[in-house]
Amino acid sequence: MSQEALTKQDRMRIELAVKKVAWQLDGRVPRAKKRQVLNELRSNLTEAAEHVGREQAVQQLGDLKALANSYLELYRGRVDIRAGVFWAVLAYWAVQVLGLALFFAFRAGVAAGGAHGATYSFEPWPGFGPFGGTVSSNGNTNTFTVLLGSPAHLLIVAVAFAIGSTYRSIGTRRRA
Amino acid sequence: MAEDGVHDSQLLKGVLSLALMRLLAERESYGYELVTRLHELGLTEVQDGSVYPALGRLERDGQVTSRLVASTGGAARKYYRLSAPGYVALAHIERAWRSLVGALDPLLSTPVPAKPKEALP
Repeated sequence: MSQEALTKQDRMRIELAVKKVAWQLDGRVPRAKKRQVLNELRSNLTEAAEHVGREQAVQQLGDLKALANSYLELYRGRVDIRAGVFWAVLAYWAVQVLGLALFFAFRAGVAAGGAHGATYSFEPWPGFGPFGGTVSSNGNTNTFTVLLGSPAHLLIVAVAFAIGSTYRSIGTRRRA
Repeated sequence: MAEDGVHDSQLLKGVLSLALMRLLAERESYGYELVTRLHELGLTEVQDGSVYPALGRLERDGQVTSRLVASTGGAARKYYRLSAPGYVALAHIERAWRSLVGALDPLLSTPVPAKPKEALP
Protein backbone atom coordinates (compact mmCIF):
# COMPACT_ATOMS: atom_id res chain seq x y z
CA MET A 1 0.00 0.00 0.00
CA SER A 2 1.35 3.41 -0.93
CA GLN A 3 1.41 6.09 1.71
CA GLU A 4 0.97 9.75 0.87
CA ALA A 5 1.70 12.76 3.01
CA LEU A 6 -1.46 14.68 3.73
CA THR A 7 -1.85 18.30 2.74
CA LYS A 8 -3.51 20.97 4.84
CA GLN A 9 -6.58 20.63 2.61
CA ASP A 10 -6.72 16.87 3.23
CA ARG A 11 -6.60 17.45 6.97
CA MET A 12 -9.35 20.05 6.73
CA ARG A 13 -11.55 17.62 4.78
CA ILE A 14 -10.93 14.94 7.41
CA GLU A 15 -11.71 17.40 10.19
CA LEU A 16 -14.93 18.37 8.44
CA ALA A 17 -16.07 14.75 8.35
CA VAL A 18 -15.16 14.33 12.03
CA LYS A 19 -17.04 17.55 12.88
CA LYS A 20 -20.15 16.29 11.08
CA VAL A 21 -20.16 13.23 13.32
CA ALA A 22 -19.30 15.38 16.37
CA TRP A 23 -22.30 17.63 15.67
CA GLN A 24 -24.65 14.66 15.95
CA LEU A 25 -23.06 13.55 19.22
CA ASP A 26 -22.97 16.99 20.88
CA GLY A 27 -25.02 17.12 24.05
CA ARG A 28 -26.02 13.47 23.69
CA VAL A 29 -22.85 11.52 24.42
CA PRO A 30 -20.78 12.22 27.56
CA ARG A 31 -17.86 14.50 26.69
CA ALA A 32 -15.04 12.13 27.60
CA LYS A 33 -16.55 9.31 25.52
CA LYS A 34 -17.21 11.67 22.62
CA ARG A 35 -13.57 12.80 22.66
CA GLN A 36 -12.38 9.16 22.61
CA VAL A 37 -14.69 8.24 19.74
CA LEU A 38 -13.72 11.25 17.65
CA ASN A 39 -9.99 10.79 18.29
CA GLU A 40 -10.24 7.18 17.15
CA LEU A 41 -12.24 8.19 14.10
CA ARG A 42 -9.75 10.94 13.22
CA SER A 43 -6.83 8.56 13.62
CA ASN A 44 -8.40 5.88 11.40
CA LEU A 45 -9.55 8.41 8.84
CA THR A 46 -6.12 10.02 8.64
CA GLU A 47 -4.50 6.66 8.06
CA ALA A 48 -7.08 5.72 5.46
CA ALA A 49 -6.51 9.05 3.68
CA GLU A 50 -2.76 8.40 3.60
CA HIS A 51 -3.40 5.09 1.83
CA VAL A 52 -6.36 5.70 -0.46
CA GLY A 53 -6.67 9.49 -0.62
CA ARG A 54 -8.91 11.78 1.40
CA GLU A 55 -12.01 11.58 -0.78
CA GLN A 56 -12.09 7.80 -0.86
CA ALA A 57 -11.28 7.63 2.84
CA VAL A 58 -14.29 9.79 3.67
CA GLN A 59 -16.43 7.90 1.15
CA GLN A 60 -15.48 4.56 2.73
CA LEU A 61 -16.99 5.78 5.99
CA GLY A 62 -20.40 5.67 4.35
CA ASP A 63 -23.23 7.89 5.51
CA LEU A 64 -21.82 10.06 8.30
CA LYS A 65 -25.22 10.50 9.91
CA ALA A 66 -25.69 6.72 10.03
CA LEU A 67 -22.23 6.41 11.57
CA ALA A 68 -23.09 9.03 14.19
CA ASN A 69 -26.36 7.21 14.91
CA SER A 70 -24.46 3.96 15.45
CA TYR A 71 -22.23 5.75 17.96
CA LEU A 72 -25.31 7.29 19.57
CA GLU A 73 -26.89 3.87 20.01
CA LEU A 74 -23.74 2.73 21.76
CA TYR A 75 -22.77 5.69 23.89
CA ARG A 76 -25.86 7.83 24.43
CA GLY A 77 -25.69 9.40 27.90
CA ARG A 78 -28.51 9.52 30.44
CA VAL A 79 -29.24 13.13 29.54
CA ASP A 80 -29.82 14.29 25.97
CA ILE A 81 -29.41 18.05 26.21
CA ARG A 82 -30.41 18.65 22.59
CA ALA A 83 -33.66 16.74 22.98
CA GLY A 84 -34.28 18.61 26.25
CA VAL A 85 -33.79 22.01 24.60
CA PHE A 86 -35.99 20.99 21.67
CA TRP A 87 -38.88 19.95 23.94
CA ALA A 88 -38.44 22.98 26.18
CA VAL A 89 -38.65 25.37 23.21
CA LEU A 90 -41.58 23.44 21.77
CA ALA A 91 -43.42 23.53 25.10
CA TYR A 92 -42.78 27.28 25.43
CA TRP A 93 -44.20 28.02 22.00
CA ALA A 94 -47.14 25.68 22.54
CA VAL A 95 -48.00 27.60 25.73
CA GLN A 96 -47.58 30.93 23.93
CA VAL A 97 -49.81 29.85 21.04
CA LEU A 98 -52.46 28.62 23.47
CA GLY A 99 -52.07 31.80 25.53
CA LEU A 100 -52.46 34.00 22.44
CA ALA A 101 -55.52 32.06 21.31
CA LEU A 102 -57.12 32.48 24.74
CA PHE A 103 -56.14 36.12 24.82
CA PHE A 104 -57.58 36.90 21.37
CA ALA A 105 -60.81 35.25 22.47
CA PHE A 106 -60.81 37.45 25.58
CA ARG A 107 -60.09 40.59 23.51
CA ALA A 108 -62.88 39.71 21.09
CA GLY A 109 -65.17 39.30 24.08
CA VAL A 110 -64.17 42.70 25.44
CA ALA A 111 -64.80 44.34 22.03
CA ALA A 112 -68.10 42.51 21.57
CA GLY A 113 -69.20 43.65 25.02
CA GLY A 114 -68.80 47.28 23.92
CA ALA A 115 -65.56 48.24 25.63
CA HIS A 116 -65.45 51.60 27.39
CA GLY A 117 -62.26 53.56 27.93
CA ALA A 118 -60.74 51.24 30.45
CA THR A 119 -58.19 48.49 30.94
CA TYR A 120 -59.45 44.93 31.16
CA SER A 121 -57.16 42.36 32.66
CA PHE A 122 -57.04 38.67 31.69
CA GLU A 123 -55.16 36.62 34.25
CA PRO A 124 -56.73 33.34 35.41
CA TRP A 125 -53.93 32.69 37.95
CA PRO A 126 -52.65 36.09 39.05
CA GLY A 127 -48.89 36.23 39.50
CA PHE A 128 -48.34 32.67 38.30
CA GLY A 129 -49.19 32.65 34.59
CA PRO A 130 -48.72 31.35 32.01
CA PHE A 131 -51.76 33.07 30.56
CA GLY A 132 -52.24 36.73 31.19
CA GLY A 133 -52.47 40.18 29.67
CA THR A 134 -54.50 43.33 29.47
CA VAL A 135 -56.68 44.99 26.85
CA SER A 136 -56.74 48.78 26.99
CA SER A 137 -59.51 50.50 25.17
CA ASN A 138 -59.99 54.21 24.62
CA GLY A 139 -63.08 53.89 22.50
CA ASN A 140 -61.48 53.43 19.06
CA THR A 141 -58.28 51.51 19.62
CA ASN A 142 -57.48 48.39 21.59
CA THR A 143 -53.93 47.70 22.70
CA PHE A 144 -52.90 44.55 24.49
CA THR A 145 -49.99 42.93 26.23
CA VAL A 146 -49.33 39.21 26.75
CA LEU A 147 -47.16 37.48 29.34
CA LEU A 148 -43.93 36.18 27.79
CA GLY A 149 -42.35 34.88 30.95
CA SER A 150 -43.83 33.88 34.29
CA PRO A 151 -43.22 31.30 37.03
CA ALA A 152 -45.56 28.95 35.14
CA HIS A 153 -43.56 29.41 31.92
CA LEU A 154 -40.39 28.54 33.80
CA LEU A 155 -42.00 25.50 35.39
CA ILE A 156 -43.41 24.19 32.10
CA VAL A 157 -40.11 24.73 30.28
CA ALA A 158 -38.16 23.04 33.09
CA VAL A 159 -40.50 20.03 33.15
CA ALA A 160 -40.40 19.74 29.35
CA PHE A 161 -36.58 19.89 29.44
CA ALA A 162 -36.37 17.28 32.19
CA ILE A 163 -38.71 14.85 30.44
CA GLY A 164 -37.38 15.55 26.93
CA SER A 165 -33.75 15.11 27.92
CA THR A 166 -34.23 11.84 29.79
CA TYR A 167 -37.19 10.02 28.27
CA ARG A 168 -34.96 7.89 26.04
CA SER A 169 -32.87 6.67 28.94
CA ILE A 170 -36.05 5.95 30.91
CA GLY A 171 -37.26 3.84 27.97
CA THR A 172 -33.91 2.10 27.72
CA ARG A 173 -33.88 1.26 31.45
CA ARG A 174 -37.42 -0.14 31.21
CA ARG A 175 -36.46 -2.36 28.27
CA ALA A 176 -33.39 -3.56 30.17
CA MET B 1 -15.89 -14.78 -1.40
CA ALA B 2 -18.94 -14.68 -3.62
CA GLU B 3 -18.27 -15.59 -7.24
CA ASP B 4 -19.25 -12.20 -8.56
CA GLY B 5 -17.57 -10.42 -5.64
CA VAL B 6 -20.84 -9.04 -4.28
CA HIS B 7 -22.10 -9.87 -0.81
CA ASP B 8 -25.49 -9.17 0.63
CA SER B 9 -25.08 -6.21 2.99
CA GLN B 10 -27.54 -7.63 5.54
CA LEU B 11 -25.67 -10.94 5.58
CA LEU B 12 -22.40 -9.07 6.01
CA LYS B 13 -23.82 -7.06 8.88
CA GLY B 14 -24.84 -10.28 10.59
CA VAL B 15 -21.41 -11.85 10.39
CA LEU B 16 -19.31 -8.70 10.86
CA SER B 17 -18.82 -9.29 14.60
CA LEU B 18 -17.79 -12.87 13.94
CA ALA B 19 -15.26 -11.79 11.30
CA LEU B 20 -13.85 -9.05 13.54
CA MET B 21 -13.54 -11.35 16.53
CA ARG B 22 -11.85 -13.99 14.38
CA LEU B 23 -9.36 -11.45 13.03
CA LEU B 24 -8.68 -10.14 16.53
CA ALA B 25 -8.12 -13.68 17.75
CA GLU B 26 -5.28 -13.88 15.24
CA ARG B 27 -3.69 -10.52 15.98
CA GLU B 28 -4.23 -7.38 18.03
CA SER B 29 -5.35 -4.74 15.56
CA TYR B 30 -6.85 -1.24 15.16
CA GLY B 31 -9.88 -0.02 13.22
CA TYR B 32 -8.47 0.86 9.84
CA GLU B 33 -6.15 -2.15 9.81
CA LEU B 34 -9.14 -4.42 10.43
CA VAL B 35 -10.96 -2.79 7.52
CA THR B 36 -8.03 -3.46 5.20
CA ARG B 37 -7.75 -7.05 6.45
CA LEU B 38 -11.45 -7.58 5.72
CA HIS B 39 -11.00 -6.07 2.25
CA GLU B 40 -8.03 -8.37 1.62
CA LEU B 41 -10.30 -11.30 2.45
CA GLY B 42 -12.60 -10.15 -0.33
CA LEU B 43 -15.16 -8.41 1.84
CA THR B 44 -14.68 -5.17 -0.04
CA GLU B 45 -18.24 -3.96 0.58
CA VAL B 46 -17.60 -3.64 4.30
CA GLN B 47 -17.50 0.07 5.04
CA ASP B 48 -15.22 1.65 7.61
CA GLY B 49 -18.29 3.27 9.09
CA SER B 50 -19.78 -0.08 10.04
CA VAL B 51 -16.55 -1.54 11.43
CA TYR B 52 -15.74 1.23 13.93
CA PRO B 53 -19.08 1.13 15.81
CA ALA B 54 -19.01 -2.69 15.66
CA LEU B 55 -15.69 -2.59 17.53
CA GLY B 56 -17.23 -0.24 20.07
CA ARG B 57 -20.11 -2.68 20.53
CA LEU B 58 -17.74 -5.59 21.09
CA GLU B 59 -15.81 -3.51 23.61
CA ARG B 60 -18.99 -2.48 25.42
CA ASP B 61 -20.04 -6.14 25.62
CA GLY B 62 -16.66 -7.05 27.10
CA GLN B 63 -15.62 -9.26 24.19
CA VAL B 64 -12.62 -7.14 23.30
CA THR B 65 -10.32 -4.87 25.28
CA SER B 66 -8.45 -1.88 23.91
CA ARG B 67 -5.36 0.19 24.52
CA LEU B 68 -3.98 3.36 22.97
CA VAL B 69 -0.66 3.16 21.20
CA ALA B 70 1.20 6.27 20.03
CA SER B 71 1.54 6.39 16.27
CA THR B 72 4.25 8.06 14.22
CA GLY B 73 1.63 9.58 11.93
CA GLY B 74 -0.15 11.68 14.54
CA ALA B 75 -3.15 10.67 16.68
CA ALA B 76 -2.76 7.55 18.83
CA ARG B 77 -4.18 4.31 17.47
CA LYS B 78 -6.68 2.32 19.47
CA TYR B 79 -5.68 -1.33 19.38
CA TYR B 80 -8.23 -4.02 20.15
CA ARG B 81 -7.65 -7.55 21.32
CA LEU B 82 -9.99 -10.40 22.12
CA SER B 83 -10.72 -10.76 25.85
CA ALA B 84 -11.21 -14.06 27.71
CA PRO B 85 -15.04 -13.79 27.44
CA GLY B 86 -14.46 -12.88 23.80
CA TYR B 87 -12.74 -16.21 23.13
CA VAL B 88 -15.65 -18.05 24.72
CA ALA B 89 -18.15 -16.03 22.68
CA LEU B 90 -16.14 -16.58 19.49
CA ALA B 91 -16.13 -20.35 20.01
CA HIS B 92 -19.88 -20.25 20.58
CA ILE B 93 -20.60 -18.09 17.52
CA GLU B 94 -18.29 -20.21 15.35
CA ARG B 95 -20.17 -23.33 16.39
CA ALA B 96 -23.48 -21.64 15.67
CA TRP B 97 -22.22 -20.49 12.27
CA ARG B 98 -20.94 -23.94 11.29
CA SER B 99 -24.20 -25.51 12.44
CA LEU B 100 -26.19 -23.02 10.34
CA VAL B 101 -24.01 -23.59 7.28
CA GLY B 102 -24.22 -27.35 7.83
CA ALA B 103 -28.01 -27.18 7.99
CA LEU B 104 -28.34 -25.04 4.88
CA ASP B 105 -25.67 -26.75 2.82
CA PRO B 106 -27.71 -29.83 1.75
CA LEU B 107 -30.49 -27.51 0.64
CA LEU B 108 -28.26 -25.10 -1.24
CA SER B 109 -26.03 -27.75 -2.81
CA THR B 110 -28.82 -29.17 -4.96
CA PRO B 111 -29.55 -27.37 -8.23
CA VAL B 112 -32.56 -25.05 -8.24
CA PRO B 113 -35.36 -26.70 -10.27
CA ALA B 114 -36.66 -24.73 -13.24
CA LYS B 115 -40.20 -25.03 -11.90
CA PRO B 116 -41.47 -25.94 -8.41
CA LYS B 117 -43.39 -29.21 -8.07
CA GLU B 118 -47.14 -29.12 -7.47
CA ALA B 119 -48.31 -29.24 -3.84
CA LEU B 120 -48.81 -32.71 -2.36
CA PRO B 121 -52.46 -33.76 -2.14
